[in-house]
Amino acid sequence: MALSGELFPAGLLVFLATACLLDRHLLRACLAFIAFALLMALAWWRLDSPWLALVEATLGALLTGITLLHGLGRLGSRSSLPLRDRERRPRQQATARWLAALVWLTLAGAAVWGVSGNSELAASVEVTRWVLLATGLTIMALGLWAFAHHLHLLRRLLAFNVLGSGIFLLLAGLAGPAVEVQGLILVGLVVSLIGSVLGVALLRRLHAQDGRVVLGDGGREEAG
Amino acid sequence: MNAPLAPSLSFPAVVLWLALLVPLLLGLLAWRFPPRRMLPVLLAGTPLPLATFWLLHRVSAGGELVGVWSLGELQLHWRLNGLAGLLLLLTQLLLLASATYAVGYWRATVLPERAFAGFWPLLGGLAAALGVIWVAADLLTLYAALELMGLTAVGMMLLPGKGAALVAGMRYLIYALVGSLAWLLGVALLLGASGRLDLAGLAATTEPGPVTGIAMAMLAAGLLLKAAIFPLHGWLVPVHASAWTPVSALHGALVVKASFFILMQLWQRLVPEGVAAAWLLGLLGSLAVLWGGLQAWRANELKKVVAWSTVGQLGYLMLAFPLLAGTSAAVATLAWQATWLQLAGHALAKAAMFMAAGNLLLAAGESRITDLAGTSRRLPLPLMTFGLAAVTLMGLPPSAGFTAKWLLLQAAILAGQWLWVAVLVVGSLLTAAYVFRVFRCAFVEAAPRHEVRSLPAGMDLIALLLSLSALGLGLAAEWPLALLRGGGMP
Repeated sequence: MALSGELFPAGLLVFLATACLLDRHLLRACLAFIAFALLMALAWWRLDSPWLALVEATLGALLTGITLLHGLGRLGSRSSLPLRDRERRPRQQATARWLAALVWLTLAGAAVWGVSGNSELAASVEVTRWVLLATGLTIMALGLWAFAHHLHLLRRLLAFNVLGSGIFLLLAGLAGPAVEVQGLILVGLVVSLIGSVLGVALLRRLHAQDGRVVLGDGGREEAG
Repeated sequence: MNAPLAPSLSFPAVVLWLALLVPLLLGLLAWRFPPRRMLPVLLAGTPLPLATFWLLHRVSAGGELVGVWSLGELQLHWRLNGLAGLLLLLTQLLLLASATYAVGYWRATVLPERAFAGFWPLLGGLAAALGVIWVAADLLTLYAALELMGLTAVGMMLLPGKGAALVAGMRYLIYALVGSLAWLLGVALLLGASGRLDLAGLAATTEPGPVTGIAMAMLAAGLLLKAAIFPLHGWLVPVHASAWTPVSALHGALVVKASFFILMQLWQRLVPEGVAAAWLLGLLGSLAVLWGGLQAWRANELKKVVAWSTVGQLGYLMLAFPLLAGTSAAVATLAWQATWLQLAGHALAKAAMFMAAGNLLLAAGESRITDLAGTSRRLPLPLMTFGLAAVTLMGLPPSAGFTAKWLLLQAAILAGQWLWVAVLVVGSLLTAAYVFRVFRCAFVEAAPRHEVRSLPAGMDLIALLLSLSALGLGLAAEWPLALLRGGGMP
């Protein structure tokens, strides 16, 4: 396959992930996530995993999307969350989180380099593989940054979902279209969905109870 | 997982998988018809440990059971050896005790009807997840079971539905999700490097190198987070402080141990010779023993004392890694037996302690230690149960904790790793300090008279039985240790 044909969807994925994680307007961020998940489904389709594409579209885009929008109060719920995230992380909390995220990323990058360096795959597959790996690493980095940086719980859930997608891409790039990979991604998608549903339900209860959207308390422990 | 049955389908395999999956059905049944009395729960659950007992007998006579489920091209491996069988038995007994206790808890407190009904399917899911973790032999099954366990545990923590529980539950959820992603990344690296997921195959094909090391580090980070090993223990104490007593008992006794069990399985197969990393884990464990003990000593609420003591006691388990890495066979055998005995003894004692603490708090209506003054006269039975459980945690004879720590001490001396000897001694002293602090408050005589509520007799009885079995395990340690020698050590 031509390199440009691979690069365009990959670039679009990274762009949508960035839009989803950077936007302080939560509705736009959620919509960007739904578009991102649909594009992920398309990617699985192109990687000859139609079942995975179907599951990603249903669980990742449709159900997670409904959950997130419901959490915002845009879909089938009476009260609504404020649409803008106005939380800022105090500076002194940031260092340990940055360090943890950087260590994670460096280790993952080194290991991916190590694994893909000594495999003997045909050159035609090689391009797809490298694009997958590079996209996966980039999206993982974005997700890690957002997870470590954001305070708003909905944005942390978004970051978790994006981070998960990045790892799925890495998985597909590292191990090819094996049946084990599809099984792992399937379980991962179900876990992400249940995690999102639980998280959103909790967030709504917390907000209804005392109007909070963060886990704020001063000396919280490092989350890794 | 059940649908297309592999040719490996034998009678013991059917019994095993029924024992693993029936709790799920029972949980769903109890969701529809929440039990009102303790006896039906006890009767419904009793066949399960009996079945496991029979399986253990088979395993000790005929060697481990091994099998594969095939789902299309996907192969899911499982095996039942002495260790997995013992842990399954322990799990079923503790689940049965907690389920029975939960009925009493519901009768003694005013729990919302819907939340109480919701407890049962979550309990069934937790039971199935734990059982599958003990017998799973490939990373995909382990991943699914680990996540099922984590999510049902989060769900159970949320049942109280009050402010503190919500915040603690949210924090637990976030930690669990991060842990699961770290685990998935580690699995991805292993799959990319060796192309397979079954533990036996991974052990055979994986070569030590940077990729294996990094993959193991990722897996370990995820598991340590879920096992609340120092310094990743931040979520544990707030979660316990606001959870229901039977949930706390199960969580402290089993859920955190499952992550440790998986870590040990992977470690033994992937990096058995990683001495430096093993020492790092041992040092983290030592810090956990010290920090957990100190915080338990400083805590003001009884449930927090018990929760911090879990952080400390988990640290002892981590001492197994340096004692197993690159040491002589004699040391490794001692450390291996000590670890699982400590795990079992602590599980029984910690469940008993949470229940005894819950009974004390419920009956006295107080949550602070200083308000327990005078309970020694009015609530002698829960206090005695608390003390008996503490005997195991402190490692006094004749408890399982004593036998385990004695074996660990022997292993450390034999290996010449004197640091762990010091940790064991200081840890036991710290445990004694926080336990006696509770007793000092409870035995204050000049206390105003509080109203004491009477609880269903079963609640005290279950806690007492658990703490006595923790003691008895120390006296009858020969049977489980023989099973451990027979199989289980990779």
